[in-house]
Order: sequence, then structure tokens, then C-alpha cells
Amino acid sequence: MFFNVPDIQQFQANKEFIDTAVVPLLSLQFSDDKSKKSGSDAEYLMSLTAFIEQQFKGRLLMTPPFSYVDSLKPHLDLSLIEKELKDAGFKHVVFITCDADWVKKEEFHVIWLPAIPLTSMDIPVKQKIMEDQLKQVIPTLTNIWTKL
Amino acid sequence: MSNNRVTRRQFLTYTITGVGGFMAAGMLMPMVRFAVDPLLQTKTEGDFVLTGQKVSELTDAPVKVDFSFERTDAWYVSETTDSAWVYKDGDAIIALSPVCKHLGCTVNWEGDPDHPNQFFCACHAGRYEKTGVNVPGTPPTAALDQYEVAEKDGFLMLGKKSANSFA
Ligand code: FES
Repeated sequence: MFFNVPDIQQFQANKEFIDTAVVPLLSLQFSDDKSKKSGSDAEYLMSLTAFIEQQFKGRLLMTPPFSYVDSLKPHLDLSLIEKELKDAGFKHVVFITCDADWVKKEEFHVIWLPAIPLTSMDIPVKQKIMEDQLKQVIPTLTNIWTKL
Repeated sequence: MSNNRVTRRQFLTYTITGVGGFMAAGMLMPMVRFAVDPLLQTKTEGDFVLTGQKVSELTDAPVKVDFSFERTDAWYVSETTDSAWVYKDGDAIIALSPVCKHLGCTVNWEGDPDHPNQFFCACHAGRYEKTGVNVPGTPPTAALDQYEVAEKDGFLMLGKKSANSFA
């Protein structure tokens, strides 16, 4: 599910099935030397999370990304986000990001994937990459789901 | 002097507010129209989309066929990729939507080793027969939708989605 009205209505009616919130963490860098890479990373994370949502629509809510600049990063407290989502009824909260800094946060479920530049890629190639990347994500999700 | 008399100043104020109101309405109406219009536009769902799948290469084992089309989302036009599970049943081509009828996950052919020859939804273990008909006792309550199919120069085309013909 996405964070929009019809999907949220579905979530509220089916909380026992839609038990996982996935939260993209998106780093934004605006300096001339970094913004191109940052834009490319953002495109990748957005495409991948949309693809994950398409595959697991009935099991998870994909929130809009939490975006931050470098100086804001130390103040982004994942435990607060996780708490609010758990209070709303999600059993599992998973963060997904291309920013390696979050990997250290071992107390959370963080899926980290190195960004792949998608710009100027043909759609079938892009689709193939998304499927390959999804295969990296599935084990983490199924692990969380089977552990209970 | 009666209170109802309109003074010159009041007259001017009324007139200006009136004109201003007209101008505001003149500006707002097209904006509202722009905002509402995309919702009113008819979708091109009836059209067939050409896929890269050669019809001659289809067998009785379902394969996933991806196809892309443009989707207009209010102001935002994007390429969307959907897919279908396609196989041959005798001479007929069957193309099923992979969207689970429970809560919309994507189902996979033989996605569960314990249930060969069925579609499997990993989200809540929903299952479907090869025809797309849902297996009773699993969460889905309806059969997978079916795509209209056509052929062009040997390639598969997919059309409108409708209710499953085997159900
Ligand atoms: S979404 Fe497929 S079984 Fe629930």
C-alpha cells in the first residue's frame, strides 16, 4: 500500500494482513559536486521502493521517504519513527536506504542497497535490475515475517 | 438621512469588490478545471499494448510477460510496467493478471515448492489454480483477472483486463 487515501482505507480495514511498514530514508545533497549523484540515488530508491510496493502491496505500507540533508541526519531518530508506526498497529517496521550510514543502526531492520544509476536505461533493462534487486530484499522481509 | 443610502465611497467599494470578485473567479475557474480535468479524462484502457513476447515461443508453462505503458497521474506522466502470466492452453493463449485478489500483491507461478502447478501469493499464502481460479481455504476470494489477447506480427498484445473466464 502507498500512503494515499484508498490504500490507507484498505490498511485500516485489514490491519491483521498489512502488518509491515517500510520507510525509505533518502539522503539529499545539493552541492555542485554531489547533487548529480544524489539525484540519481533518489531516482533509484524511489523506483525500487515503488517496485517493492507493487510486489507486496497487500502486506506492507510504503511510506513516503524521510528525506534529509547531511546536517539533519544526526537528528533523525529512527526509534521515534518506529514507535509511531508500531503504535499505529504495524508489527514490523523496516527502513530501506542507499545511505550506508544507517547500516550501523543494528537495533533496527535496515535494508541497505548501493544505488545503481538508472538514468538513460531502457525500460526492460531497468525492470531486470529491479527484479534482481528485489531478490536482495526478499530474504530480509521473509526473515522478519517468519520470525514473528 | 436614511441608513440605506449608498454613499459614493460605499458605491466605489462595492464596485471594486464586485469586479475583483469577477476577476478572481475568472482566474480560479480554469485552475479548478485543470485540477479536476485529469480525473474526468477517459483512460486508454481499451487499447492493446504490444509486448516483446513471441507468440510462437509460448508453451503450456506460464511465463511472466512485462509490458509498459504511459500512465497519467494528474499532472505527472510516468512509464508504468505491469506484467501478466501467459501460457498456451491448446491453441488458446491465456494471460492472467498477477495481482492477487486478496490485497493486491504480485503472485508467482509455482512460487511455493509445496504447491506445484499453482500460482502462489507470498503475502498471505494465497493460491490459485493454473486457470487463475482461487483455491478455496486460502485468503483470495476471487479468481485472477484475465487479459484480452491479440497477436501482431508474431508478437503478443495484451488488452483490457476483465473477470476470469474459468471462474
Ligand atoms: S495479498 Fe495475496 S494472499 Fe493476501
